[in-house]
Amino acid sequence: MALLEVRDLVKRFGETTILNGVNLRVQKGEVKVVMGRSGSGKSTLLRCINRLEEPTSGSIRLHDREVTGPSVDIRALRRSVGFVFQQFALYRHLSVLDNVTLALRHLGGLRRNEAEEKARHELARVDMTEHRHKFPAELSGGQKQRVALARALAMDPDVVFFDEPTSALDPLMCREVAILINRLFVDGVTVLCVTHDLTLARLISDRVIFLDRGRVCAEDAIENLSSGHADPRVQEFFGQEASGR
Amino acid sequence: MSAAEIFWQLLRGAPYTLLVTSVCAATGLCVGLFVAALRRARIPGLQVIIAVYAYVFRGVPVLVLLFLAYFGLPSIGIKLSPLLAMALSLGLTAGAYLAEVFRGALASVDTTEIIAAEAMGFSRLQIMRLVEFPQMLRFAVPGMINEFTTILKYSPFAYTVGIPEITKQATALTARTLQGIEIYLCVGLLYFAIYRVVLSTIRLVASRYQVPGIGNS
Repeated sequence: MALLEVRDLVKRFGETTILNGVNLRVQKGEVKVVMGRSGSGKSTLLRCINRLEEPTSGSIRLHDREVTGPSVDIRALRRSVGFVFQQFALYRHLSVLDNVTLALRHLGGLRRNEAEEKARHELARVDMTEHRHKFPAELSGGQKQRVALARALAMDPDVVFFDEPTSALDPLMCREVAILINRLFVDGVTVLCVTHDLTLARLISDRVIFLDRGRVCAEDAIENLSSGHADPRVQEFFGQEASGR
Repeated sequence: MSAAEIFWQLLRGAPYTLLVTSVCAATGLCVGLFVAALRRARIPGLQVIIAVYAYVFRGVPVLVLLFLAYFGLPSIGIKLSPLLAMALSLGLTAGAYLAEVFRGALASVDTTEIIAAEAMGFSRLQIMRLVEFPQMLRFAVPGMINEFTTILKYSPFAYTVGIPEITKQATALTARTLQGIEIYLCVGLLYFAIYRVVLSTIRLVASRYQVPGIGNS
């Protein structure tokens, strides 16, 4: 049984169809990568799964429980899904430590000292303990990414979503992100990562799903996708990405 | 009458000036925050009421509102104390302006932070309380300083409804001594001193909560 299963997911904004029958399965402890060009629906897919966007139709099951429909406790669903955003989205008025403890205290019901202990543990996991009293404006892009990850991990989510985690980082930092995600894999954390960064995809996962115009075009090993795939859209994308555009 | 004696007489009005300024600033702050929260809640009918409130209180002179509250309302059986009349006129006017300051400050809060909070499972109210308002208040510091200074400068209207603040002391003293120039120069200096103290206090409080990357006080 898959931890996360998406079936025939459709999302329309007015007349525009963004997701057009997406199917996806993520096993527990797996690092799954979704690739595709800008506008292919990658980010919308993540936003539909944790109900930041309402799916038009289709089924999403987490732990074999349907999470679409009006009777679902959306806030409880969101608490079980960690989300690392493209622009990190750290709370600028809070220190690194407070960024991580905020949800623990106000959603997890922990006391301040309990929350801080848990936050220190998560910050140590991403090597950010020494920066815990700094504010987001005092951190580099890579450091912000680490804090965003610690914040997402703090609530012990069932799955962690990464939305274009390397788009705001330099190539060296991209490798660091890959190292962090691989550490999560070793720890048994389930990851669903959308990206158009082929280097990152190669470093964190053997197989990727290729999304184009809201449809899954291919799911295969990166090597197979990037060397003479039958689908011309796949060929075009991986050809361009491999040559660095 | 010496300058020192004039100052001493005028100082008797300073506590009332500070009282009027504080009460009106507190009223303005509470109303401004409340209106900003209501705007954020986006309840359809309320938006019209808020727009009318802002239109009236920003468009009608404070003195007219004060006279309406203090001298007008008793004719329909509502008698207000001078301080309450000040709060309802100057305080509510300040509230209308502060609501605009807070609206601008709220617009400075990064929407990705709000989406991140939603994605984590925070409720709308929690997001407002834990993410939007703490940042908004920091962004709003320059606008708040401006508005609190305006309240201080409008506080002499209180003498028209019988509050014995600095200007009231000055008019009484001038009538007695006919030393208008000396007295009103001293009044100006006293208001300037109060302004500096108020400004320093606000900046001290703001610096206590200042964080890198958000606003400047």
